[in-house]
Amino acid sequence: MPRSIWNGTIAFGAVAVPIKLYSAVEAKTVHFHEVHLDDGARIEHRAFCSKEDKEVPKDEVVKGFELRSGRYVVVDREEIAAAGGTRSRIIDVDRFVPLADVDPVFFDKSYFVGPQDDGADAYKLLQAALEQTGRAALGRFTFHNREYLVAIRAYENVLALHTMRFADELVGPKDLDVPRAARKPDRREIAMAQQLIDSLHEEFRPGRLHDEHREAILAAIQAKAKGQEIEPPEDVDTEPPDDLMAALEASLGKGKDKGGKATKKTSSSKKGSSRRKAAA
Amino acid sequence: MARSLWTGSLSFGLVNVPVALYSAARDQDIHFHQLHAKDGARIEMRRFCAEEDAEVGYEDIGHGYELDSGKQVVLTDAELDAVAPRKTRTIDIQSFVDAADVDPILFDHPYWLIPTGDSEGPRRAYRLLVEAMGDADRVALGRFVLRTKEYLVAVRVRDGLLALTTMLFADEIRPAKGIAPGGAKPGKEAVAQAVRLVEALGDEFDPSAYRDEHRKRLRAVIKEKEKGGTIQAPEQDEEPAVAGDLLEALRQTMADLNAKGSGTKGKGSGTKAKGKAQAKPKAKSR
Repeated sequence: MPRSIWNGTIAFGAVAVPIKLYSAVEAKTVHFHEVHLDDGARIEHRAFCSKEDKEVPKDEVVKGFELRSGRYVVVDREEIAAAGGTRSRIIDVDRFVPLADVDPVFFDKSYFVGPQDDGADAYKLLQAALEQTGRAALGRFTFHNREYLVAIRAYENVLALHTMRFADELVGPKDLDVPRAARKPDRREIAMAQQLIDSLHEEFRPGRLHDEHREAILAAIQAKAKGQEIEPPEDVDTEPPDDLMAALEASLGKGKDKGGKATKKTSSSKKGSSRRKAAA
Repeated sequence: MARSLWTGSLSFGLVNVPVALYSAARDQDIHFHQLHAKDGARIEMRRFCAEEDAEVGYEDIGHGYELDSGKQVVLTDAELDAVAPRKTRTIDIQSFVDAADVDPILFDHPYWLIPTGDSEGPRRAYRLLVEAMGDADRVALGRFVLRTKEYLVAVRVRDGLLALTTMLFADEIRPAKGIAPGGAKPGKEAVAQAVRLVEALGDEFDPSAYRDEHRKRLRAVIKEKEKGGTIQAPEQDEEPAVAGDLLEALRQTMADLNAKGSGTKGKGSGTKAKGKAQAKPKAKSR
Protein backbone atom coordinates (compact mmCIF):
# COMPACT_ATOMS: atom_id res chain seq x y z
CA MET A 1 0.00 0.00 0.00
CA PRO A 2 1.49 3.35 -1.02
CA ARG A 3 1.81 6.17 1.50
CA SER A 4 -0.60 9.07 1.30
CA ILE A 5 0.66 12.62 0.86
CA TRP A 6 -2.44 14.57 1.90
CA ASN A 7 -5.55 13.79 3.92
CA GLY A 8 -8.77 15.74 3.74
CA THR A 9 -12.36 15.73 2.59
CA ILE A 10 -14.01 16.19 -0.78
CA ALA A 11 -17.16 18.20 -0.08
CA PHE A 12 -20.14 19.09 -2.21
CA GLY A 13 -23.43 20.08 -0.65
CA ALA A 14 -23.97 18.03 2.49
CA VAL A 15 -21.92 15.19 1.07
CA ALA A 16 -18.46 14.67 2.53
CA VAL A 17 -15.99 12.11 1.22
CA PRO A 18 -12.95 11.73 3.47
CA ILE A 19 -10.00 10.90 1.27
CA LYS A 20 -6.28 10.35 1.07
CA LEU A 21 -4.13 11.57 -1.79
CA TYR A 22 -1.36 9.49 -3.35
CA SER A 23 1.13 10.42 -6.01
CA ALA A 24 0.28 8.79 -9.33
CA VAL A 25 3.55 9.49 -11.09
CA GLU A 26 7.00 8.26 -10.30
CA ALA A 27 9.45 9.79 -12.75
CA LYS A 28 12.10 7.26 -13.68
CA THR A 29 14.61 9.74 -14.99
CA VAL A 30 18.12 8.61 -14.08
CA HIS A 31 19.43 11.03 -11.49
CA PHE A 32 23.07 11.78 -10.87
CA HIS A 33 24.63 13.76 -8.10
CA GLU A 34 27.49 16.14 -8.70
CA VAL A 35 30.93 14.84 -7.80
CA HIS A 36 34.40 16.30 -7.90
CA LEU A 37 36.18 14.55 -10.79
CA ASP A 38 39.56 14.66 -9.03
CA ASP A 39 38.61 12.71 -5.94
CA GLY A 40 35.05 11.49 -6.50
CA ALA A 41 33.82 13.40 -3.45
CA ARG A 42 30.36 14.92 -3.34
CA ILE A 43 29.82 18.50 -4.41
CA GLU A 44 28.07 20.76 -1.92
CA HIS A 45 26.20 23.90 -2.82
CA ARG A 46 27.08 26.69 -0.43
CA ALA A 47 25.29 30.01 -0.19
CA PHE A 48 27.50 33.08 -0.55
CA CYS A 49 26.64 36.71 -0.12
CA SER A 50 27.48 38.37 -3.43
CA LYS A 51 28.37 41.62 -1.69
CA GLU A 52 30.51 40.31 1.16
CA ASP A 53 31.93 37.36 -0.77
CA LYS A 54 31.43 35.30 2.39
CA GLU A 55 29.52 32.11 3.09
CA VAL A 56 26.07 32.71 4.57
CA PRO A 57 24.47 30.32 7.04
CA LYS A 58 21.05 28.95 5.96
CA ASP A 59 19.13 30.90 8.59
CA GLU A 60 20.39 34.17 7.14
CA VAL A 61 18.98 33.45 3.69
CA VAL A 62 15.59 35.01 2.97
CA LYS A 63 13.31 35.22 -0.04
CA GLY A 64 12.94 38.48 -1.88
CA PHE A 65 10.56 39.56 -4.60
CA GLU A 66 12.14 41.94 -7.09
CA LEU A 67 10.15 45.07 -7.74
CA ARG A 68 10.37 46.89 -11.04
CA SER A 69 12.55 49.49 -9.34
CA GLY A 70 15.11 46.76 -8.64
CA ARG A 71 14.33 46.93 -4.93
CA TYR A 72 13.47 43.71 -3.12
CA VAL A 73 10.55 43.00 -0.82
CA VAL A 74 11.51 40.34 1.69
CA VAL A 75 8.78 37.84 2.41
CA ASP A 76 9.20 35.06 4.94
CA ARG A 77 8.04 31.49 4.68
CA GLU A 78 4.96 31.98 6.86
CA GLU A 79 3.89 34.99 4.85
CA ILE A 80 4.12 33.06 1.62
CA ALA A 81 2.19 30.23 3.25
CA ALA A 82 -0.52 32.70 4.23
CA ALA A 83 -1.35 33.12 0.55
CA GLY A 84 -2.12 29.42 0.35
CA GLY A 85 -5.78 29.87 1.10
CA THR A 86 -8.02 28.18 3.60
CA ARG A 87 -8.56 24.76 2.07
CA SER A 88 -5.73 22.70 3.49
CA ARG A 89 -8.21 20.09 4.74
CA ILE A 90 -10.98 20.28 2.19
CA ILE A 91 -11.48 19.96 -1.55
CA ASP A 92 -14.33 22.29 -2.22
CA VAL A 93 -16.23 20.94 -5.22
CA ASP A 94 -17.71 23.68 -7.30
CA ARG A 95 -19.39 21.86 -10.17
CA PHE A 96 -19.25 18.73 -12.29
CA VAL A 97 -18.24 19.18 -15.91
CA PRO A 98 -18.15 16.73 -18.82
CA LEU A 99 -14.67 15.20 -18.78
CA ALA A 100 -14.58 15.21 -22.58
CA ASP A 101 -14.83 19.02 -22.56
CA VAL A 102 -11.70 19.43 -20.46
CA ASP A 103 -8.79 19.36 -22.85
CA PRO A 104 -5.84 17.50 -21.32
CA VAL A 105 -3.65 20.63 -21.73
CA PHE A 106 -5.37 21.85 -18.59
CA PHE A 107 -4.06 18.90 -16.58
CA ASP A 108 -0.78 19.53 -14.83
CA LYS A 109 0.19 17.04 -12.09
CA SER A 110 -1.70 13.82 -11.45
CA TYR A 111 -2.55 12.08 -8.20
CA PHE A 112 -4.68 9.15 -7.09
CA VAL A 113 -7.44 9.59 -4.56
CA GLY A 114 -8.25 6.83 -2.08
CA PRO A 115 -10.77 6.68 0.75
CA GLN A 116 -10.04 7.14 4.42
CA ASP A 117 -11.15 4.30 6.66
CA ASP A 118 -14.57 5.80 7.37
CA GLY A 119 -15.14 7.00 3.83
CA ALA A 120 -15.29 3.84 1.73
CA ASP A 121 -19.05 4.04 1.03
CA ALA A 122 -19.05 7.70 0.08
CA TYR A 123 -15.91 7.17 -2.03
CA LYS A 124 -17.40 4.26 -3.95
CA LEU A 125 -20.54 6.26 -4.58
CA LEU A 126 -18.65 9.27 -5.93
CA GLN A 127 -16.46 7.03 -8.06
CA ALA A 128 -19.52 5.26 -9.51
CA ALA A 129 -21.36 8.53 -10.16
CA LEU A 130 -18.37 10.12 -11.92
CA GLU A 131 -17.76 7.02 -13.98
CA GLN A 132 -21.40 6.74 -15.00
CA THR A 133 -21.83 10.41 -15.88
CA GLY A 134 -18.41 10.82 -17.50
CA ARG A 135 -18.02 13.99 -15.50
CA ALA A 136 -15.15 15.46 -13.51
CA ALA A 137 -15.58 17.31 -10.22
CA LEU A 138 -13.93 20.74 -10.26
CA GLY A 139 -12.85 22.31 -7.03
CA ARG A 140 -10.06 23.99 -5.16
CA PHE A 141 -7.76 22.86 -2.41
CA THR A 142 -4.54 23.87 -0.68
CA PHE A 143 -1.56 21.58 -0.98
CA HIS A 144 1.88 22.45 0.38
CA ASN A 145 0.72 25.99 1.11
CA ARG A 146 -0.48 26.56 -2.41
CA GLU A 147 -4.02 26.60 -3.67
CA TYR A 148 -4.86 24.61 -6.77
CA LEU A 149 -7.81 24.21 -9.02
CA VAL A 150 -8.32 20.48 -9.44
CA ALA A 151 -10.33 18.05 -11.53
CA ILE A 152 -11.31 14.72 -9.98
CA ARG A 153 -12.41 11.95 -12.31
CA ALA A 154 -12.88 8.20 -12.47
CA TYR A 155 -9.71 6.35 -13.46
CA GLU A 156 -9.75 2.54 -13.61
CA ASN A 157 -11.49 1.63 -10.34
CA VAL A 158 -10.23 4.64 -8.42
CA LEU A 159 -10.40 8.42 -8.64
CA ALA A 160 -7.63 10.49 -10.18
CA LEU A 161 -7.02 14.12 -9.25
CA HIS A 162 -5.33 16.50 -11.67
CA THR A 163 -4.08 19.93 -10.68
CA MET A 164 -5.20 22.32 -13.40
CA ARG A 165 -3.49 25.03 -15.37
CA PHE A 166 -5.39 28.28 -15.50
CA ALA A 167 -6.51 29.69 -18.83
CA ASP A 168 -3.91 32.48 -18.64
CA GLU A 169 -1.15 29.90 -18.28
CA LEU A 170 -1.95 28.44 -21.67
CA VAL A 171 -0.72 29.62 -25.03
CA GLY A 172 -3.54 29.47 -27.54
CA PRO A 173 -3.65 29.56 -31.35
CA LYS A 174 -4.29 33.31 -31.14
CA ASP A 175 -0.90 33.79 -29.45
CA LEU A 176 0.82 32.14 -32.39
CA ASP A 177 1.48 33.34 -35.85
CA VAL A 178 0.26 30.46 -37.96
CA PRO A 179 0.97 30.63 -41.68
CA ARG A 180 -1.97 29.37 -43.69
CA ALA A 181 -1.89 27.36 -46.84
CA ALA A 182 -3.26 29.23 -49.83
CA ARG A 183 -4.92 26.13 -51.20
CA LYS A 184 -6.45 23.40 -49.10
CA PRO A 185 -5.26 19.86 -49.69
CA ASP A 186 -7.59 18.15 -52.14
CA ARG A 187 -9.79 15.18 -51.44
CA ARG A 188 -7.48 12.70 -53.08
CA GLU A 189 -4.56 13.79 -50.91
CA ILE A 190 -6.64 13.59 -47.73
CA ALA A 191 -7.89 10.14 -48.68
CA MET A 192 -4.34 8.97 -49.27
CA ALA A 193 -3.07 10.48 -46.05
CA GLN A 194 -5.88 8.77 -44.19
CA GLN A 195 -4.98 5.52 -45.85
CA LEU A 196 -1.41 5.99 -44.69
CA ILE A 197 -2.57 6.77 -41.14
CA ASP A 198 -4.73 3.64 -41.21
CA SER A 199 -1.80 1.53 -42.34
CA LEU A 200 0.22 2.79 -39.36
CA HIS A 201 -2.70 2.34 -36.97
CA GLU A 202 -2.12 0.24 -33.88
CA GLU A 203 -3.80 -0.53 -30.65
CA PHE A 204 -2.38 1.75 -27.95
CA ARG A 205 -0.26 -0.38 -25.64
CA PRO A 206 1.74 2.00 -23.48
CA GLY A 207 3.59 -0.81 -21.73
CA ARG A 208 5.43 -1.63 -24.95
CA LEU A 209 6.95 1.79 -25.30
CA HIS A 210 10.19 1.98 -23.40
CA ASP A 211 12.30 4.89 -22.37
CA GLU A 212 15.26 4.09 -24.61
CA HIS A 213 17.11 7.12 -23.36
CA ARG A 214 16.88 5.93 -19.75
CA GLU A 215 17.97 2.43 -20.82
CA ALA A 216 20.96 3.84 -22.73
CA ILE A 217 22.12 5.86 -19.71
CA LEU A 218 21.78 2.87 -17.38
CA ALA A 219 23.69 0.71 -19.88
CA ALA A 220 26.45 3.31 -20.04
CA ILE A 221 26.68 3.34 -16.26
CA GLN A 222 27.03 -0.45 -16.22
CA ALA A 223 29.64 -0.31 -18.98
CA LYS A 224 31.63 2.31 -17.15
CA ALA A 225 31.41 0.29 -13.91
CA LYS A 226 33.07 -2.56 -15.80
CA GLY A 227 35.79 -0.22 -17.00
CA GLN A 228 34.58 -0.10 -20.61
CA GLU A 229 34.76 2.96 -22.77
CA ILE A 230 31.70 4.83 -23.92
CA GLU A 231 31.61 5.76 -27.58
CA PRO A 232 29.13 7.95 -29.36
CA PRO A 233 26.59 6.18 -31.61
CA GLU A 234 26.72 6.34 -35.39
CA ASP A 235 24.43 8.60 -37.29
CA VAL A 236 21.84 7.10 -39.57
CA ASP A 237 19.76 9.51 -41.60
CA THR A 238 17.61 9.02 -44.63
CA GLU A 239 16.71 11.73 -47.09
CA PRO A 240 13.01 11.67 -47.84
CA PRO A 241 11.50 12.87 -51.11
CA ASP A 242 10.26 16.43 -51.48
CA ASP A 243 7.05 16.15 -53.45
CA LEU A 244 3.99 15.63 -51.20
CA MET A 245 2.00 13.41 -53.55
CA ALA A 246 5.03 11.32 -54.40
CA ALA A 247 5.85 10.96 -50.71
CA LEU A 248 2.32 9.79 -49.92
CA GLU A 249 2.41 7.29 -52.75
CA ALA A 250 5.85 6.03 -51.81
CA SER A 251 4.86 5.71 -48.14
CA LEU A 252 1.73 3.80 -49.03
CA GLY A 253 3.66 1.48 -51.29
CA LYS A 254 6.04 0.83 -48.44
CA GLY A 255 3.19 0.38 -45.98
CA LYS A 256 1.45 -2.15 -48.22
CA ASP A 257 4.55 -4.24 -48.81
CA LYS A 258 5.56 -4.64 -45.22
CA GLY A 259 2.49 -3.56 -43.26
CA GLY A 260 2.53 -0.65 -40.83
CA LYS A 261 3.85 -2.66 -37.94
CA ALA A 262 6.75 -4.04 -39.88
CA THR A 263 7.80 -0.51 -40.81
CA LYS A 264 7.71 0.46 -37.17
CA LYS A 265 9.65 -2.55 -36.00
CA THR A 266 12.50 -2.04 -38.42
CA SER A 267 12.92 1.55 -37.41
CA SER A 268 12.94 0.82 -33.69
CA SER A 269 15.25 -2.16 -33.89
CA LYS A 270 17.68 -0.11 -35.95
CA LYS A 271 17.77 2.41 -33.14
CA GLY A 272 18.13 -0.26 -30.52
CA SER A 273 21.15 -1.78 -32.13
CA SER A 274 22.97 1.50 -32.54
CA ARG A 275 22.35 2.21 -28.86
CA ARG A 276 23.56 -1.20 -27.83
CA LYS A 277 26.72 -0.66 -29.76
CA ALA A 278 27.16 2.60 -27.96
CA ALA A 279 26.75 1.01 -24.60
CA ALA A 280 28.93 -2.01 -25.25
CA MET B 1 5.04 35.88 -30.18
CA ALA B 2 7.11 33.48 -28.20
CA ARG B 3 10.25 31.99 -29.64
CA SER B 4 10.22 28.48 -30.96
CA LEU B 5 12.06 25.88 -28.90
CA TRP B 6 12.93 23.63 -31.76
CA THR B 7 12.54 23.47 -35.50
CA GLY B 8 12.61 20.39 -37.64
CA SER B 9 10.14 18.21 -39.40
CA LEU B 10 7.36 15.91 -38.48
CA SER B 11 7.78 12.78 -40.49
CA PHE B 12 5.46 9.87 -41.06
CA GLY B 13 6.06 7.37 -43.75
CA LEU B 14 8.01 9.36 -46.30
CA VAL B 15 6.02 12.53 -45.75
CA ASN B 16 7.84 15.39 -44.07
CA VAL B 17 6.18 18.44 -42.58
CA PRO B 18 8.55 21.25 -41.56
CA VAL B 19 7.45 22.52 -38.15
CA ALA B 20 8.49 24.73 -35.25
CA LEU B 21 7.79 23.79 -31.64
CA TYR B 22 6.27 26.27 -29.17
CA SER B 23 5.35 25.70 -25.56
CA ALA B 24 1.60 25.67 -25.00
CA ALA B 25 2.02 26.59 -21.33
CA ARG B 26 3.62 29.67 -19.85
CA ASP B 27 4.97 30.12 -16.38
CA GLN B 28 2.90 32.70 -14.51
CA ASP B 29 4.26 31.81 -11.10
CA ILE B 30 5.63 34.48 -8.84
CA HIS B 31 9.32 33.86 -8.35
CA PHE B 32 11.58 34.90 -5.52
CA HIS B 33 15.31 35.41 -5.24
CA GLN B 34 17.43 34.30 -2.33
CA LEU B 35 18.86 37.24 -0.42
CA HIS B 36 21.24 37.70 2.48
CA ALA B 37 19.02 38.93 5.33
CA LYS B 38 21.71 41.23 6.76
CA ASP B 39 22.47 43.35 3.71
CA GLY B 40 19.80 42.39 1.20
CA ALA B 41 22.43 41.28 -1.33
CA ARG B 42 21.75 38.42 -3.71
CA ILE B 43 22.86 34.95 -2.69
CA GLU B 44 25.12 33.03 -5.06
CA MET B 45 25.43 29.28 -4.96
CA ARG B 46 29.01 28.05 -5.19
CA ARG B 47 30.09 24.49 -5.61
CA PHE B 48 32.50 23.02 -3.10
CA CYS B 49 34.23 19.69 -2.84
CA ALA B 50 32.92 18.19 0.37
CA GLU B 51 36.26 16.51 1.07
CA GLU B 52 38.75 19.24 0.22
CA ASP B 53 36.51 22.12 1.37
CA ALA B 54 37.58 24.03 -1.74
CA GLU B 55 35.55 25.64 -4.51
CA VAL B 56 35.28 23.56 -7.68
CA GLY B 57 34.80 24.86 -11.21
CA TYR B 58 32.13 23.44 -13.53
CA GLU B 59 34.76 21.74 -15.67
CA ASP B 60 35.87 19.63 -12.69
CA ILE B 61 32.42 18.33 -11.88
CA GLY B 62 31.24 14.90 -12.98
CA HIS B 63 28.00 12.97 -12.65
CA GLY B 64 27.95 10.33 -9.95
CA TYR B 65 25.59 7.40 -9.91
CA GLU B 66 25.38 5.06 -6.98
CA LEU B 67 25.05 1.40 -7.91
CA ASP B 68 23.00 -0.99 -5.77
CA SER B 69 26.29 -2.28 -4.40
CA GLY B 70 27.00 1.18 -3.01
CA LYS B 71 29.84 1.64 -5.44
CA GLN B 72 29.85 4.95 -7.28
CA VAL B 73 30.23 5.29 -11.04
CA VAL B 74 31.25 8.68 -12.34
CA LEU B 75 30.42 9.81 -15.87
CA THR B 76 31.92 12.92 -17.41
CA ASP B 77 29.97 15.43 -19.48
CA ALA B 78 31.56 13.96 -22.61
CA GLU B 79 30.45 10.46 -21.69
CA LEU B 80 26.92 11.59 -20.96
CA ASP B 81 26.90 13.42 -24.30
CA ALA B 82 27.93 10.20 -26.00
CA VAL B 83 24.90 8.45 -24.53
CA ALA B 84 22.56 11.33 -25.30
CA PRO B 85 20.45 10.48 -28.31
CA ARG B 86 21.75 11.91 -31.55
CA LYS B 87 20.06 15.20 -32.22
CA THR B 88 17.86 14.92 -35.23
CA ARG B 89 15.67 17.36 -36.98
CA THR B 90 12.73 15.03 -37.08
CA ILE B 91 9.81 13.96 -34.97
CA ASP B 92 9.45 10.38 -36.07
CA ILE B 93 5.85 9.25 -36.09
CA GLN B 94 5.85 5.53 -35.48
CA SER B 95 2.17 4.76 -35.24
CA PHE B 96 -1.30 6.17 -34.99
CA VAL B 97 -3.63 5.14 -32.19
CA ASP B 98 -7.22 5.93 -31.22
CA ALA B 99 -7.38 9.17 -29.26
CA ALA B 100 -9.87 7.63 -26.84
CA ASP B 101 -7.37 4.94 -25.79
CA VAL B 102 -4.67 7.35 -24.63
CA ASP B 103 -5.37 8.34 -21.04
CA PRO B 104 -4.34 11.96 -20.38
CA ILE B 105 -2.59 10.85 -17.17
CA LEU B 106 0.30 9.99 -19.53
CA PHE B 107 0.49 13.55 -20.86
CA ASP B 108 3.30 15.68 -19.55
CA HIS B 109 4.12 19.05 -21.11
CA PRO B 110 1.97 20.55 -23.90
CA TYR B 111 3.39 22.20 -27.02
CA TRP B 112 2.19 23.45 -30.37
CA LEU B 113 3.60 22.50 -33.75
CA ILE B 114 3.39 25.29 -36.30
CA PRO B 115 4.31 24.96 -39.99
CA THR B 116 7.49 26.74 -41.02
CA GLY B 117 8.93 27.91 -44.27
CA ASP B 118 7.61 30.34 -46.79
CA SER B 119 6.58 27.92 -49.46
CA GLU B 120 3.12 26.61 -50.05
CA GLY B 121 4.11 22.93 -50.04
CA PRO B 122 4.97 22.54 -46.35
CA ARG B 123 1.87 24.47 -45.30
CA ARG B 124 -0.32 22.20 -47.35
CA ALA B 125 1.39 19.12 -45.96
CA TYR B 126 0.66 20.44 -42.44
CA ARG B 127 -2.98 21.10 -43.29
CA LEU B 128 -3.23 17.68 -44.86
CA LEU B 129 -2.09 15.99 -41.66
CA VAL B 130 -4.52 18.09 -39.59
CA GLU B 131 -7.45 17.15 -41.81
CA ALA B 132 -6.56 13.50 -42.14
CA MET B 133 -5.93 13.00 -38.42
CA GLY B 134 -8.73 15.14 -37.10
CA ASP B 135 -11.36 13.29 -39.07
CA ALA B 136 -10.27 9.92 -37.80
CA ASP B 137 -9.81 11.08 -34.19
CA ARG B 138 -6.36 9.61 -34.12
CA VAL B 139 -3.27 10.43 -32.11
CA ALA B 140 0.16 10.05 -33.64
CA LEU B 141 2.85 8.53 -31.43
CA GLY B 142 6.46 9.29 -32.06
CA ARG B 143 9.79 10.12 -30.60
CA PHE B 144 12.01 13.11 -30.84
CA VAL B 145 15.01 14.67 -29.16
CA LEU B 146 14.67 18.01 -27.42
CA ARG B 147 17.95 19.29 -26.04
CA THR B 148 19.64 16.14 -24.70
CA LYS B 149 16.67 13.94 -23.99
CA GLU B 150 14.57 11.75 -26.20
CA TYR B 151 10.87 12.05 -25.60
CA LEU B 152 7.92 9.90 -26.40
CA VAL B 153 5.32 12.26 -27.81
CA ALA B 154 1.69 12.29 -28.81
CA VAL B 155 0.62 14.57 -31.65
CA ARG B 156 -3.06 15.34 -31.99
CA VAL B 157 -5.31 17.89 -33.59
CA ARG B 158 -6.50 20.73 -31.37
CA ASP B 159 -8.22 23.89 -32.55
CA GLY B 160 -7.24 23.10 -36.13
CA LEU B 161 -3.55 22.88 -35.27
CA LEU B 162 -1.19 20.08 -34.36
CA ALA B 163 -0.67 19.85 -30.61
CA LEU B 164 2.29 17.87 -29.30
CA THR B 165 2.53 16.52 -25.77
CA THR B 166 5.54 14.86 -24.20
CA MET B 167 4.42 11.65 -22.55
CA LEU B 168 5.31 9.69 -19.48
CA PHE B 169 6.22 6.06 -19.92
CA ALA B 170 3.76 3.50 -18.60
CA ASP B 171 6.16 2.40 -15.86
CA GLU B 172 6.20 5.95 -14.53
CA ILE B 173 2.53 5.71 -13.59
CA ARG B 174 2.21 3.99 -10.25
CA PRO B 175 -0.22 1.10 -10.11
CA ALA B 176 -3.53 2.19 -8.58
CA LYS B 177 -3.76 -1.22 -6.93
CA GLY B 178 -4.52 -1.21 -3.23
CA ILE B 179 -6.12 2.22 -3.34
CA ALA B 180 -9.72 1.29 -4.17
CA PRO B 181 -11.77 0.18 -1.17
CA GLY B 182 -12.93 -3.41 -1.09
CA GLY B 183 -16.36 -4.56 0.03
CA ALA B 184 -19.74 -4.44 -1.60
CA LYS B 185 -20.54 -2.17 -4.52
CA PRO B 186 -22.77 0.77 -3.67
CA GLY B 187 -26.50 0.13 -3.98
CA LYS B 188 -28.29 0.98 -7.21
CA GLU B 189 -30.56 3.51 -5.58
CA ALA B 190 -27.66 5.30 -3.94
CA VAL B 191 -25.74 5.46 -7.24
CA ALA B 192 -28.82 6.76 -9.03
CA GLN B 193 -29.21 9.45 -6.38
CA ALA B 194 -25.52 10.39 -6.63
CA VAL B 195 -25.75 10.53 -10.43
CA ARG B 196 -28.77 12.84 -10.19
CA LEU B 197 -26.84 15.11 -7.84
CA VAL B 198 -23.76 15.17 -10.08
CA GLU B 199 -25.97 16.05 -13.05
CA ALA B 200 -27.79 18.71 -11.03
CA LEU B 201 -24.46 20.30 -10.13
CA GLY B 202 -23.37 19.82 -13.72
CA ASP B 203 -22.13 22.69 -15.80
CA GLU B 204 -20.11 23.34 -18.91
CA PHE B 205 -16.37 23.62 -18.55
CA ASP B 206 -15.54 27.29 -18.83
CA PRO B 207 -11.81 27.75 -18.23
CA SER B 208 -12.12 31.55 -18.25
CA ALA B 209 -14.31 31.33 -15.15
CA TYR B 210 -11.31 30.30 -13.06
CA ARG B 211 -8.58 32.64 -11.94
CA ASP B 212 -5.47 31.77 -10.00
CA GLU B 213 -6.54 33.07 -6.61
CA HIS B 214 -3.28 31.92 -5.11
CA ARG B 215 -1.21 34.13 -7.38
CA LYS B 216 -3.51 37.05 -6.58
CA ARG B 217 -3.17 36.51 -2.84
CA LEU B 218 0.59 36.14 -3.06
CA ARG B 219 0.77 39.46 -4.90
CA ALA B 220 -1.35 41.01 -2.17
CA VAL B 221 1.03 39.62 0.46
CA ILE B 222 4.00 41.17 -1.34
CA LYS B 223 2.19 44.50 -1.66
CA GLU B 224 1.29 44.52 2.01
CA LYS B 225 4.90 43.77 2.96
CA GLU B 226 6.13 46.54 0.68
CA LYS B 227 3.99 48.96 2.69
CA GLY B 228 5.47 47.58 5.87
CA GLY B 229 2.32 45.77 6.92
CA THR B 230 2.04 42.42 8.65
CA ILE B 231 0.55 39.29 7.18
CA GLN B 232 -1.72 36.99 9.09
CA ALA B 233 -2.28 33.39 8.11
CA PRO B 234 -5.96 32.69 7.45
CA GLU B 235 -7.78 30.18 9.57
CA GLN B 236 -8.29 26.93 7.75
CA ASP B 237 -11.70 25.74 6.63
CA GLU B 238 -13.01 23.01 8.79
CA GLU B 239 -13.28 19.50 7.48
CA PRO B 240 -16.95 18.58 7.20
CA ALA B 241 -18.02 15.51 9.12
CA VAL B 242 -18.97 12.38 7.24
CA ALA B 243 -22.73 12.04 7.11
CA GLY B 244 -24.06 9.15 9.16
CA ASP B 245 -26.62 8.47 6.46
CA LEU B 246 -25.06 8.94 3.03
CA LEU B 247 -28.32 8.65 1.14
CA GLU B 248 -29.90 11.25 3.38
CA ALA B 249 -26.99 13.63 2.72
CA LEU B 250 -27.50 13.17 -1.02
CA ARG B 251 -31.23 13.81 -0.72
CA GLN B 252 -30.67 16.83 1.51
CA THR B 253 -28.23 18.37 -0.96
CA MET B 254 -30.61 17.71 -3.82
CA ALA B 255 -33.48 19.28 -1.90
CA ASP B 256 -31.36 22.36 -1.12
CA LEU B 257 -30.47 22.64 -4.76
CA ASN B 258 -34.10 22.44 -5.86
CA ALA B 259 -35.10 25.01 -3.26
CA LYS B 260 -32.57 27.43 -4.70
CA GLY B 261 -33.80 26.82 -8.22
CA SER B 262 -31.45 26.22 -11.08
CA GLY B 263 -28.87 28.68 -9.81
CA THR B 264 -25.94 26.36 -10.37
CA LYS B 265 -25.77 27.00 -14.07
CA GLY B 266 -24.24 30.42 -13.49
CA LYS B 267 -20.72 31.19 -14.54
CA GLY B 268 -19.45 32.34 -11.15
CA SER B 269 -15.82 31.77 -10.44
CA GLY B 270 -15.11 29.44 -7.64
CA THR B 271 -18.37 29.99 -5.84
CA LYS B 272 -19.35 26.99 -3.85
CA ALA B 273 -21.97 24.40 -4.29
CA LYS B 274 -25.18 25.09 -2.49
CA GLY B 275 -26.10 23.61 0.81
CA LYS B 276 -22.68 24.31 2.25
CA ALA B 277 -24.15 25.43 5.55
CA GLN B 278 -24.90 21.85 6.49
CA ALA B 279 -21.44 20.73 5.53
CA LYS B 280 -19.66 23.34 7.58
CA PRO B 281 -21.16 23.82 10.98
CA LYS B 282 -18.61 26.35 12.18
CA ALA B 283 -18.12 29.73 10.59
CA LYS B 284 -14.86 30.20 8.81
CA SER B 285 -12.80 33.32 8.68
CA ARG B 286 -12.63 34.81 5.28
